[in-house]
Amino acid sequence: MRAALALPALGSPRATFSLWYVKPGDRVVEGDRVAEVLIPGATFDVHSPASGTLAEQLAFPNDALTPGQTLGWIQQEEAMERG
Amino acid sequence: MTNAPHTREQPGPGRALNAYLLGSLPFDSLLALQRRLVYDISGDPSTAALLVCEHPAGVTVGREGSRSHVRPNPEELNARGWAVRWVSRGGGVLLHQPGQVACYPVLSLDALGLTAGAYLEHLQGIAVDLLREYGVAGEPDPQHPGIMVRGRRLVHVGAAVRQGVSCFGLVVNADPDLEPFRDVRCDGDPLPMTSLARESGHRVRVPGVRQRLVELVADRFGFDRVSVFHSLPRAPYQPTRHAAAHRP
Repeated sequence: MRAALALPALGSPRATFSLWYVKPGDRVVEGDRVAEVLIPGATFDVHSPASGTLAEQLAFPNDALTPGQTLGWIQQEEAMERG
Repeated sequence: MTNAPHTREQPGPGRALNAYLLGSLPFDSLLALQRRLVYDISGDPSTAALLVCEHPAGVTVGREGSRSHVRPNPEELNARGWAVRWVSRGGGVLLHQPGQVACYPVLSLDALGLTAGAYLEHLQGIAVDLLREYGVAGEPDPQHPGIMVRGRRLVHVGAAVRQGVSCFGLVVNADPDLEPFRDVRCDGDPLPMTSLARESGHRVRVPGVRQRLVELVADRFGFDRVSVFHSLPRAPYQPTRHAAAHRP
């Protein structure tokens, strides 16, 4: 099962993707910071919603973002164990 | 502050802000301290801290900054003793100098019910309120958060939100030497920064600015108690070999 890494509400009309802290295939634990986004005047760390591995990156540095946008997918641990 | 949101969630009763008035603090010490406080406060969002300090001369480059905003070449930077650091905060380039007051609230934004954008508006509101007390009308800059006075930047805003906890924040030019700002385009501005001492008809003293910032932060975020410390928070107790079980 895959969990979406969604951009939370930041309260800013502009947001851009800054960088990834992990690369596809890296193992992450729920709550790990996996990416950074930028609004004018502040950086904001995005945390993994589940434990597993980063399956796919959908956003890249300097991409303009909208609230709720999916930045990537986490392949959850349970599914990996079953598979 | 004209556009500052005035609705805010009141933290629980008896909630205190620990304010650390630290004087001159090397940037490395700040980063380590901030990291530790973010970790502590993310684990216990009912606690909050405020770091107020100044930094030795140097340049920091935020995520919105560029090396091209710093005019001196590496040899000149070395000669002046200005280290250039790339930091993971918002905002652009900032020249740190004695005479500035750095004000870094470390607060759980989730506990306060604030988004990152709303938090930045509050930070700018604090700066506008501070300037007003000195008879200076400051205008928030919507493009590059910070406070402008007569076309020049007086307050730099650059924050970061980690694990739902804020760090970095405001740097107010209370009374620094303004000449070196000609060599650094702070936040990409073509004009050099100005200062409270230059713009205000009142006497500006750094300790007074520091004290008012603590009070304004506590008031703005609804803390009813402020505990003031003048030294770094004590490191957690770590047993040494001498503390091992003693066998007579």
